[in-house]
Amino acid sequence: MIKLQHVEKVYRTSAIETLALNNINLDVQKGEFVSIMGPSGCGKSTLLNIIGLLDEPSRGVVEIGGRRVEKYRDRELAHLRNEKLGFIFQSFHLINDLSVLDNVEIPLLYRSSSARQRRALAQEALEKVGLSNRMKHFPKQLSGGQKQRVAIARAIVGKPEIILADEPTGNLDSAMGNEILSILQNLNKDGATIVMVTHDDAMAKKTHRLIRLFDGTQVL
Amino acid sequence: MLRHLFKLTWNKKKTHALLIVEIWASFLVLFGLASLIIFNARNYLEPLGFAYERVWAINLQNNQDTTDVAEKIQQVVRHLGTYAEVESVTRMGSNFPFAASQMSNGVKYNGTHSMMNFYTVDENFARTLDITPLAGRWYQSADSVGKHRPAVINQKAREKLFGEENPLGKILNNDGENTWKVVGVIGNYKDKAEFMENKPAMFELLYADDRWNSTLLIKTKPGTDALFEARLVKDVTAQLKGWSVEVDHLTESRTNQHNLTLIPVLIFLIICSFLLVNVALGLFGILNLNIAKRKDEIGLRRAMGATERAVKQQFLGEIWVLATLSMLLGLLFTVQFPLLHVFDVASGVYLLAMVASVVIIYLLVTLCAWYPSRQAARIQPAVALHEE
Ligand SMILES: Nc1ncnc2c1ncn2[C@@H]1O[C@H](COP(=O)(O)OP(=O)(O)O)[C@@H](O)[C@H]1O
Ligand SMILES: [Mg+2]
Repeated sequence: MIKLQHVEKVYRTSAIETLALNNINLDVQKGEFVSIMGPSGCGKSTLLNIIGLLDEPSRGVVEIGGRRVEKYRDRELAHLRNEKLGFIFQSFHLINDLSVLDNVEIPLLYRSSSARQRRALAQEALEKVGLSNRMKHFPKQLSGGQKQRVAIARAIVGKPEIILADEPTGNLDSAMGNEILSILQNLNKDGATIVMVTHDDAMAKKTHRLIRLFDGTQVL
Repeated sequence: MLRHLFKLTWNKKKTHALLIVEIWASFLVLFGLASLIIFNARNYLEPLGFAYERVWAINLQNNQDTTDVAEKIQQVVRHLGTYAEVESVTRMGSNFPFAASQMSNGVKYNGTHSMMNFYTVDENFARTLDITPLAGRWYQSADSVGKHRPAVINQKAREKLFGEENPLGKILNNDGENTWKVVGVIGNYKDKAEFMENKPAMFELLYADDRWNSTLLIKTKPGTDALFEARLVKDVTAQLKGWSVEVDHLTESRTNQHNLTLIPVLIFLIICSFLLVNVALGLFGILNLNIAKRKDEIGLRRAMGATERAVKQQFLGEIWVLATLSMLLGLLFTVQFPLLHVFDVASGVYLLAMVASVVIIYLLVTLCAWYPSRQAARIQPAVALHEE
């Protein structure tokens, strides 16, 4: 499902050059739930961004669903992100000026769909995360755990095969964190391939496989 | 997507209140300016209705001399006709073409009352100014046999007083005991130059014993120069001891009339341009700031499948939605102008001004939003989403 070969990422700013990823080789099978751990600044987000086609590697090959994407242009990358990938972030990234339902509908705006379809799919996604009673609320009226559930609904509304979660429980207490994890586990049971960055050993243990990064290098 | 943009803009209406007020105010100012320009441009396109080239106005002032005034003026009229350089002479009041003075009178026909510009001119007026009647003919001194004074009206006056009825031979009156008989109809008569609105006008015969109307118009032959003007003034002054004689060239008076209209329009235009440039710069600043504040959202939308183009279109779309809301508010005001016939200006002028203002506002906001929106589209999603 996800395949990385000899992936390297170098950030060049005026003065310094950071090697954020160094020779990463990764093969995630369909239906796998993989967690990534490592100290802060070791390149976890960078790796997830490259898998998520939000960033290009400086070297190496990225394959998503069997397609090599290095020649893909903006339009094709956007299309692939929309169809195949769902993102969940540590700080939720909800749009405060839109209701829960409108937030969840966002991915569907970038594919052809009617307003009625969008509404139905968004309601369905919110039901899956147990928030169908909060659809008309605005993000400011929700707790952190609820916000993250909205973000998960948004990530799954387009029925992507892959879910990428960057420290999804980082801003939540452990109870809420566990709730989020169990939602992800359910999604995984329903067939989604999940790659999750986490700082929590206990959570990582509940996934199929752990990848450890240190200073941009894969150590496990 | 449009529905989404409306929702997004609507939910943010408090944040956008200032922008909406700015666009709304700009729209109203533009509407005023556009109305003024379109009103004048439309007038400009209407023909004058007479020829002023090579026509001079000779203004006679009797000063202290009160004996035989009418006879003396008539003598000068006859004398002017004898010059080889003069094609035609006519006598009228001080409201000659492009002059500052004007006169208006109320006239009635069968209970229909109308105000019109009013001129007392003699039988040679039409010939001197190259006016061809559309119906009937120009009056002659010989027409003044009856108790009604002969008169000619223009097309506008005819529409106001007669509608579809044939005006020829009809009798007009006013609140006093004056009556006129219509002998001819002419087209336009815009004697305050091209920018003047085409208004109703009426001409009555000037009698030879008239002592008050002492402006003479002469049409000179091509090539007549200042030397002749000097000679003419000298001759006339010699004839009229103690009178003052002053010559105006209609081509010059016309330019003065143009400036009278154009200068205020130009000043208004300059003020508006400053205003709009200010609004545009403000708008540009706010939009740039907004986009910096919304990096998060941009990154998120890109992650969810928005192309660069979609991001750019979203930001442009938002400002269009905002402009549309502002202008709808503005239109509530501006439609009152044609509905209430404010300033008695044709509705078409206001409608066209509204269309022009809408187009200009859309262009303006697009211009201001173009660069910031493109910048927004170019933000790298990974950078936009980067969290420490
Ligand atoms: N856009 C960028 N420009 C320059 N350096 C960056 C950029 N993004 C990340 N980095 C650097 O790359 C390294 C890895 O960052 P990141 O992947 O965010 O780490 P993590 O998510 O593991 O905390 C860090 O040293 C960080 O400073
Ligand atoms: Mg990170």
